[in-house]
Amino acid sequence: MHEPAPIVETRDLRKVFRTVRRRPGALGALRTLFSRDYEERIAVSNVTMSVDAGELVGYIGQNGAGKSTTIKMLTGILVPSGGEIRVAGIVPYENRKQNARNIGVVFGQRSQLYWDLPLVESFELLRAIYAIPRERYQRNVDEFTDLLEMREFLNTPVRQLSLGQRMRGDFAAAMLHDPAIVYLDEPTIGLDVVAKEAIRAFITRVNTERGTTVILTTHDLADVERLCRRIVLIDHGSIIYDGDVERIKSEYGRFRTLVVTFAAAVESPALPGAELAGVQGTTARFRFDRNGERADRLIRIASERYPLEDVSIEEPDLESIIRRIYREGYEQRTEEATR
Amino acid sequence: MTPYWEFAKKAFAREATYRFEVFTNVGSLILRVYLLRCLWTALYAQNAAPLNLPLHAMITYATVALLMSLVLEIDGTRLIREKLHDGSIATDLMKPIDLPLYFFSDGMGRTLLYAVLVIPTLLCALLLVRIDVPSPHVLAAFALSFALAYCVNFVLNFCMNAVAFWTLETFAIQLIVRWVSDLLSGQIIPLTLFPGIAGRVLFALPFAAIYSTPLLLYVGIIPQSQWASAFAVQIIWLLAFGAIATLLWRAASRRIVVQGG
Repeated sequence: MHEPAPIVETRDLRKVFRTVRRRPGALGALRTLFSRDYEERIAVSNVTMSVDAGELVGYIGQNGAGKSTTIKMLTGILVPSGGEIRVAGIVPYENRKQNARNIGVVFGQRSQLYWDLPLVESFELLRAIYAIPRERYQRNVDEFTDLLEMREFLNTPVRQLSLGQRMRGDFAAAMLHDPAIVYLDEPTIGLDVVAKEAIRAFITRVNTERGTTVILTTHDLADVERLCRRIVLIDHGSIIYDGDVERIKSEYGRFRTLVVTFAAAVESPALPGAELAGVQGTTARFRFDRNGERADRLIRIASERYPLEDVSIEEPDLESIIRRIYREGYEQRTEEATR
Repeated sequence: MTPYWEFAKKAFAREATYRFEVFTNVGSLILRVYLLRCLWTALYAQNAAPLNLPLHAMITYATVALLMSLVLEIDGTRLIREKLHDGSIATDLMKPIDLPLYFFSDGMGRTLLYAVLVIPTLLCALLLVRIDVPSPHVLAAFALSFALAYCVNFVLNFCMNAVAFWTLETFAIQLIVRWVSDLLSGQIIPLTLFPGIAGRVLFALPFAAIYSTPLLLYVGIIPQSQWASAFAVQIIWLLAFGAIATLLWRAASRRIVVQGG
């Protein structure tokens, strides 16, 4: 196909917000009104990443980790405090309007559709905004209407749509002008399983068939497992992992968890070859390396040592992996394992 | 076809969906036309009429002022405030459009709906009051002056709403400015009725360019010989506040870009 080339590049990207420090209480509020001190909050620091044309990248982080701030800088509505950005060769905040033609944006929590108008009229308006040639516009509307099954509510005012319908409308709206890059910010938030699946299928299709570069931020790691080959993990404003989803899974996936429920409470249970990861009531969790240890051996030892009621094994899914990384910080697991 | 024309069309359609609001607006306006007629008639019966403004001219003035307000009270720039409040200004900034022009065309679309309604409103009003209709070339001059007044009104509103970029809340300012400008612009009382220095100060304020100038043209207090200078003053205000609006917008958009939506 085509040579992959970086389409989104940031180097040492940094954003510091200055906010008014509020004093507590009514008197404090009054004092805030007249004298202000400011505090600085670092939202993003040293974010360096490069995304190739046609990639589908999951940009993952907890609330307040700096995801949305990064996205806003990429769209050009926020000026970085330091560092460089280029999106399709353009510095977004210097050429906001030119950059806007290359990008599409979907916010799960905010609609870009016109509340009072039928869905299709929002599309018409976007056609005018982006000066989309009529036949291309018609082709896209037809295709998206089929893919997202929007026919039955195309003429319904947006305010009467369900969340799932509105989101499908928003996706179509963001893609009408064939943007090279789309930013999806929590696009599946609040959706039911069926609607989520429809949205995911649409994202995959747009990425594979149109070659659109997709940067997806989400809390729903099922989205990431379904869609992304690569994730960028951000925590407290800095990137802590950038690489394949598969790699992080195999690194952390070496460790499985044996969950044992005892018939009676056991004081400091232990199993040779496994590490105690936690005790809750009569249930203990043991972490062990898939390569160095076998589950059946551990279960046998456990049943010899303790009266057991139940035993199960947990395979790590992405969610638990990410949760652990937030808790413990990311470290190169492969090195630890080959040690 | 430019997107801005499309914005105006959509605003027109959107405003038309709020049928109840539109009819209430028009209905209350007709009622106000009638009440003002009663008020001025009563006032004129008590006192000697001012020299240059007989009762029929006063009623004409008040009625035309109310019809103008149907169009002029549409504030397209209140969108700035709303969009800052709900944060949707961020999504607008992600589109390749010029936001002040967008606000103007949105306001224009809503204005056009009411402009269409002016005719039936006028016809209804004529059942209640009798107004003078000047010669066609005075009407043409009035139309031009009114168009300028619309633009001055837009830039003034724009400046006021742009303050929301710093304060987020401008409702109190809005209210004060609205009351003051209704009074000072000659919408309620012709500025010629203010005595001495007060009258001269009011004529020197920008608000006079909104209601007073077109209305005084209409009732003939501004004679043809002074039309050119009347338009010139309106244009000067338009340019002055246009410049302030541009500066404010530049500072404001920098601010939003730095602060985040």
